[in-house]
Order: sequence, then structure tokens, then C-alpha cells
Amino acid sequence: MIFREVEDRDLIAKARRGDVEAFNLLVSRWEKRVFNYLLRLLANREDALDVSQEVFLKAYQNLPKLDAVEKFAGWLFRIAHNEAFSLLRRRRPETELPPERSADTGGRLLPMELSLAVESALKLLNDDQRDAVLLKIYQGFKFDEMAEILGCPVSTVKSRLYTALELLKTALAPSVLRGES
Amino acid sequence: MMSRESMGCENYDWKSYALGEMALPGRREAEAHAALCPNCREELGALRLTLDTLSTLREEEIPRRIAFVSDQIFEPRWYRRAFRSVWSPNFAAACVIAGAILVHAFVHPAAPDQAQLNAQIDAAVNQAVATVQAKHDEQLQEVVSAYDNRYSEIYMKVSGLVRQ
Repeated sequence: MIFREVEDRDLIAKARRGDVEAFNLLVSRWEKRVFNYLLRLLANREDALDVSQEVFLKAYQNLPKLDAVEKFAGWLFRIAHNEAFSLLRRRRPETELPPERSADTGGRLLPMELSLAVESALKLLNDDQRDAVLLKIYQGFKFDEMAEILGCPVSTVKSRLYTALELLKTALAPSVLRGES
Repeated sequence: MMSRESMGCENYDWKSYALGEMALPGRREAEAHAALCPNCREELGALRLTLDTLSTLREEEIPRRIAFVSDQIFEPRWYRRAFRSVWSPNFAAACVIAGAILVHAFVHPAAPDQAQLNAQIDAAVNQAVATVQAKHDEQLQEVVSAYDNRYSEIYMKVSGLVRQ
């Protein structure tokens, strides 16, 4: 992990000097994480892919403005967050759909079914809550890093995340997943 | 002084605990409380189950690689590109090959080509022919002169005889 951070730092330094290959390597390292974050946030594969492209283009254009190289991950996800919410704001009126219920499986869920149930449960959350869950649980950011990415106080981050966890706790309760309620 | 069980469950931030955000002293205290408090154990168990369920969401492969294309925004200046290209392995290999060709050219000068060789032969032949021709013309001239002299002598003698 330490080696990886050092290598990322080196790649960022090279990319800032105009080394396009170094930036391409950086993209290949981060594209899967960024894509999955956007896929869960936007719930649309094509949008996630398009926004991922935008994110890395903006990252390349703004790389000289990155103050602290060690904060690259948070900086990159802040761009991704901003791009995703820009799209969500544009498309909200026509695509706001009622949340889907988990499939009635009538028993123990297979991993694939469980994964689908989680996907459905995430759709119960509003965009801010889902964003907080994605950054914390799937991307592993700390509260203070999330606050920087989301551009809000730590207290707001915690509030969104805690509310989301309460909703998810209910939606993903074993009895609910088994279709008992 | 209140016991840990009676201190009040609302004092423990179980979400922060489950998410790994609680500092070590607070964690120890919360664990000690949970060991004695069934409600908090149940709350923590439900949170852990939720987080475990959330972690089953499968990470997807990106359908196609991000196509990143360089633009001119901070394209390196020409001298940087030149400097980089000078020190590239390809350029170094090209220098070695060029050097080897130059050394070979000095050590083993190239043979003249066929056209140049033909021209040299033609020139030598023409010169030889011209020399022979000149010598032949000179000998012919000597013969003609000798004949003329001899003819004049004979003519003079015949004319003297006729006059006598």
C-alpha cells in the first residue's frame, strides 16, 4: 500500500510535467473505483462511463492545481462527486422514479440476489445519503476526507451517513430480505 | 459514580464504532459497555449485519477502458520534448547505428561504381588509341617524305640525262 502511494505520487509528479503516459497509467489504476462509485450513484452504466471520462479529463486539465499530491484520491472523488451531481441535477425532473422493492426470494438469498437486494436498497436513499454510503463503505474514506470531497462539515457527513444506515438497516434486515414483512 | 451499563446507551456512537471511526480509548470503553448491555449488543449486531450485507455488492468491471487523449493544455514545450527524445532508447540506438556506419565508411572506403569504372576504362582506351594513331601518322609522314625526296632525286637525274 505504501509502495502504491509512492508510485502514485511519482506518476502524479510526472503527469504534472506533461508526461501523458504517466497520467494514462494513473487512469488505469483509478478508473474501476471511479466507475463503480459513479455507477452506484447514477444507477446508469452509460452515464457512469461518460462521467468517468469527464472526471479524468478534468483531472488532467486541473492537475497543476492539485495542492497536495497525497490528497489525490479525495481530489479525484471530489471531481467525480461534482460531475455526478451536476448530471443528477440536470436529469432529476424526468427520471425520478419510485424506489424499487427487493425481489421476493422466499428464503436464503444467493450472492447474486443479495447483491441485487443491496442495489435496490441503495436506491431507497436520496442522492446525498447514497453518496455518503458509497464514499464511506465502498471507497473507505474517513469522515474528514468525505467532508472535503462533499464540501460540507463533518457533522453533515455523519448525519447523512447515519440516516442512510438506519434506512439500510431496515431495508436489508434478514426478515425483509426473506420476504417475511 | 455511574456504572458503564447505567451510563446511558445514547452516549455510545455505535455507527462511528462500526464504521471504524472511533478512536482506541473510546472503542475500549464502548466494547466494555456492550459486553454488559444487551440493547447495545443488539444495535451493534444489526449494524454489522447491515455493513456485511452492503459489502456483498459486487464491484463491476469497467465496460471499456477510459479513452484518454492528450491535448495541448500542458503539452511539454519543444525543448523538453527534444530533450526527452534525445535520451530515449530509440534515439540512442539510432546514434550507435549511425556511428557504426560512419566508422565502416572510413575504414573500408567504398568501391567506385560501375559507370565510373567504365568511364575510366574508356578514357584509358581512347588515350592509348590516340597515342598509336599519332605514332602511325608520324611514321606515314616519314615514309611520304622519304618517297618525295627519292622521287625528286630520280626526277632530277632523269631530267639531267634527257638534257645531255
